[in-house]
Amino acid sequence: MTLAAAAPIAVEFASMHPDAEKRFVSEVCLPFLQAARNEDGGWGFHTGSESRVEATAWVVLALNATGLHEDLWRAGCDFLRAVQLADGSWPSSPGQNVGSWTTSLACWALMSNSESKTAVAAGLRWICADWPRESGLIARAIRRISAGKPIVAQNGSLHGWGWTPNTASWVEPTAFALIALDQAAAEILPEGAPKRRRIATSLLYDRMCPGGGWNCGNPMVYGVPGDPVVEPTAWALLALRDEPNRGEILMSLEWLEKNLARIESAHSLSLARICWETYGRHWPAGVATLPELYARNDFLDSVPAMAWACLALSPEKKLLFASRPERSA
Amino acid sequence: MLTAQNALAPPFQRPPSQVVIRRAASYAQDLFKLIYETLLEFQAQSRAAQPAGNVPALDGSSKFSDLRSKTVLLKPNFVGLDPLGVMNTHPAVVTAAREAFLKLGAAHVLIGDGPALDRDTEAIIESVKLREHVGVVKRTFVDLNLDDVQRVPLRTRASRLKELYLPKTALGADLVVSMPKLKTHHWAGATLSLKNMFGIVPGGCYGWPKNVLHWAGIHNSILDLNATLRPDFAIVDGIYGMEGNGPIQGVPKKANVLIFGNDPVAVDATCCRIMGLLPERIKYLAGAGTLLGHTSVEKIEQHGETIESVRIPFAVLKEFGKLKEPGREKWN
Repeated sequence: MTLAAAAPIAVEFASMHPDAEKRFVSEVCLPFLQAARNEDGGWGFHTGSESRVEATAWVVLALNATGLHEDLWRAGCDFLRAVQLADGSWPSSPGQNVGSWTTSLACWALMSNSESKTAVAAGLRWICADWPRESGLIARAIRRISAGKPIVAQNGSLHGWGWTPNTASWVEPTAFALIALDQAAAEILPEGAPKRRRIATSLLYDRMCPGGGWNCGNPMVYGVPGDPVVEPTAWALLALRDEPNRGEILMSLEWLEKNLARIESAHSLSLARICWETYGRHWPAGVATLPELYARNDFLDSVPAMAWACLALSPEKKLLFASRPERSA
Repeated sequence: MLTAQNALAPPFQRPPSQVVIRRAASYAQDLFKLIYETLLEFQAQSRAAQPAGNVPALDGSSKFSDLRSKTVLLKPNFVGLDPLGVMNTHPAVVTAAREAFLKLGAAHVLIGDGPALDRDTEAIIESVKLREHVGVVKRTFVDLNLDDVQRVPLRTRASRLKELYLPKTALGADLVVSMPKLKTHHWAGATLSLKNMFGIVPGGCYGWPKNVLHWAGIHNSILDLNATLRPDFAIVDGIYGMEGNGPIQGVPKKANVLIFGNDPVAVDATCCRIMGLLPERIKYLAGAGTLLGHTSVEKIEQHGETIESVRIPFAVLKEFGKLKEPGREKWN
């Protein structure tokens, strides 16, 4: 089937029944990902674009969850290992020689690959050594001596991870790092990992918006509460899934539930569903379906959106967070 | 591509900048006609006044004079989910500009942005209802956050950044048109066509937000970015603007104007004057006035409505009270 033919099929899938979800994955998402793969084994953000660590990591996770296309999965793992930097990190784009948030994603994706243990261990060491800039001596001193009301209402002594080195902590990269550290086997977990996880977990709770949910990491600016959005909310909830009955989590799940029917994009819908079902909740009726959204915008030809759709619709998506058996080498 | 058109010329060599202010009371009116006719004037003028000798054009006027076979990138300000339609450049303005450039002969007119705070670009463009205006979004819209990138050394060193990875779609466009919303900004004072270029910087390389720009200094990063990838033209959506705690949490402000210009620095300075702000007190604009374009009224040829006739006070956060024109500090 050509991709051009996929849109009408998506319309056909729009009124979903359980089998239709499976068919959407096998007849639309996986062929898309198969066609979008580059010769170097990686994936770009779109069909035909340069391979990037982030896009490839999401596809590797998606293929792992579906259990299909082992050849593509293996090539994706090989690509990720090939572009790892000498310091153990992964760059966000080709040619860059500094690490980024993609290090957490690459580690997470490679954890299911037995040939990647050394690479993952090096990546985790880099993650634990990467402190955000606001934790530095100068930044702390400036905070201590600066007078007046702070512009943002947040606890400056808490640190998570930034998108790139030498910047501030933000919700999503902190959630990614927490998930990567949480998924790692004990023997490759760096010494400082428990402390980093504890502080970063506190940071995520501190950065929650007043009524529940998260945005990129500004819960209050100039005294005005920030509006939560679905993606960071889903990632924060996934990172904090070990405390499902905590008040902040329940409040944020409630926010998410109220907003499910308003979701209009594949990214948010897929992540919301992964999050929702990870918390053991039943996906409600009346929410847009992924095929409906695909019929609208073709997911903007986004490889991560397709990968997340696979994860959201795959019955095995629990594999995202479980210790899984390694695939045979 | 980085061409001579983007080169920095010393202020005394730069020709006066052209800025046009048009009244526009509603997004429902015939914006295409208004924008097309205004762009036609710019095109006629640029054809009549090609820069002489070896002095590089301040703006993209030579490109503007003949748009045939050219690719135009419209860079709106799609900053976040905007169900009320007051935070982002209105799609009616973007679509009218797109149709106008096509009618002027452009081969391709793309709409591209890289939202700064939220990586779910599809959610943002759905919330601004872009699809209802342009039809199939994926044919006309480019998510600059996820575009292929190229390493670009920065032309100036106002910030500590020496290089940036920038989207190939923006670097490859023949004409880049910055299309911001008329807004005050809680860090920069005002966000207009120069600040709008932050959206060019790809989140896929730097994250959401593009925090590296903030740590390098917002004002200096704006200068370096615009010195390197200078928009050739600006169209500011001031039909509805935003005052106070912009760019997201401010209050909608109806200003009933569209502002056009071939020098984004002059356009931004004019917008500030319309909002009752002193452009020379906004650090990045003051710098841009010496490096990239004109902020001085003597060097801006004003057409259409006068500033005075459309001036409308925009409230600013008290931290930015010094930006107010003398005698108008109490406009808040």
